[in-house]
Amino acid sequence: MARLTRLSQDQVEPSLRHHFEKFLAERGNIPNMFRTVAHRPEILETLLAHFRAVMGPGTVPERLKEMIAVRVSTLNSCDY
Amino acid sequence: LAKQFGASDEAMRGLGDPDRFPFSPEERAAFRFADAMTREGGRVPDEIFEELRRHFDEPQIVEIATVIGTFNYFNRFNNAFDTDITLLDPDVAVRRVERAAAEAADAKALCERVVEILAPGRRYFWVGVFQRIGDRLALLAFRGPAPASSAFRPGEGNVGAAGKTGATRVMDDLSASSPSGACLAAARSALIVPVRSGESIVGVIDVEGDKVGAFDEEDRALVERIAGVLAPALSLS
Repeated sequence: MARLTRLSQDQVEPSLRHHFEKFLAERGNIPNMFRTVAHRPEILETLLAHFRAVMGPGTVPERLKEMIAVRVSTLNSCDY
Repeated sequence: LAKQFGASDEAMRGLGDPDRFPFSPEERAAFRFADAMTREGGRVPDEIFEELRRHFDEPQIVEIATVIGTFNYFNRFNNAFDTDITLLDPDVAVRRVERAAAEAADAKALCERVVEILAPGRRYFWVGVFQRIGDRLALLAFRGPAPASSAFRPGEGNVGAAGKTGATRVMDDLSASSPSGACLAAARSALIVPVRSGESIVGVIDVEGDKVGAFDEEDRALVERIAGVLAPALSLS
């Protein structure tokens, strides 16, 4: 059971709503971590921008970055 | 977390020891760097860093380190607050089932789509759709381990009981009921929803969990909505 509440699409700041709509359209859900961070809209805004810059097209293959993400999450025994 | 953020199945296979997988030398160097940066407060031994340098230039090393740092941040945040695994949004699930109902050739094809949408999206251990055929409830489609029984008579087991009473049953702890009447011996909880068409019960959706209390109000409401979408298809055929 999560310790913090997560905001739904109709509870978030209007400025964040387009992010939520995009997640729903592309993935069929909004990651619960982002719904939790949405309690601090300015932080979620830059967190999403940073996440896309880090994981999107860059100087190393995206597949390698995905594998690194999986490996780190496994080491941290993060089920989420 | 990584998978939820779009990591491919291919990437997920990198879960074990990288030495056992046919990774390239540069991938192995990046993994060893990720391991070192994640453990021991991020202090990376010289030889691991030198190996990384042999394969990547500085912009690439910065990019790799930001991936490792970002996921350590996310993992710690989610571990600290026990963030629940993200499930398929109920409204999106219902819309997908409605679309499938409009496109499917027959009831069996539709039920196949339903279990395909629900099992991975909601992380259901087992989900099956039964159709009433004569005096039996026959399993049309399922996802998860093969069940011991693929047909029930009304009143028989939990599926048969729902087929008879027409009431949703949420069973949080199957070990408390004896015999359990669940489809699977491994099931610990169950959510059983009748599919009603007018006065008659035309089918049953049976969802079983491998943990006690696997289903909440959101699951119950979702499966009941899906039963409503399935009703015309199950009653026509």
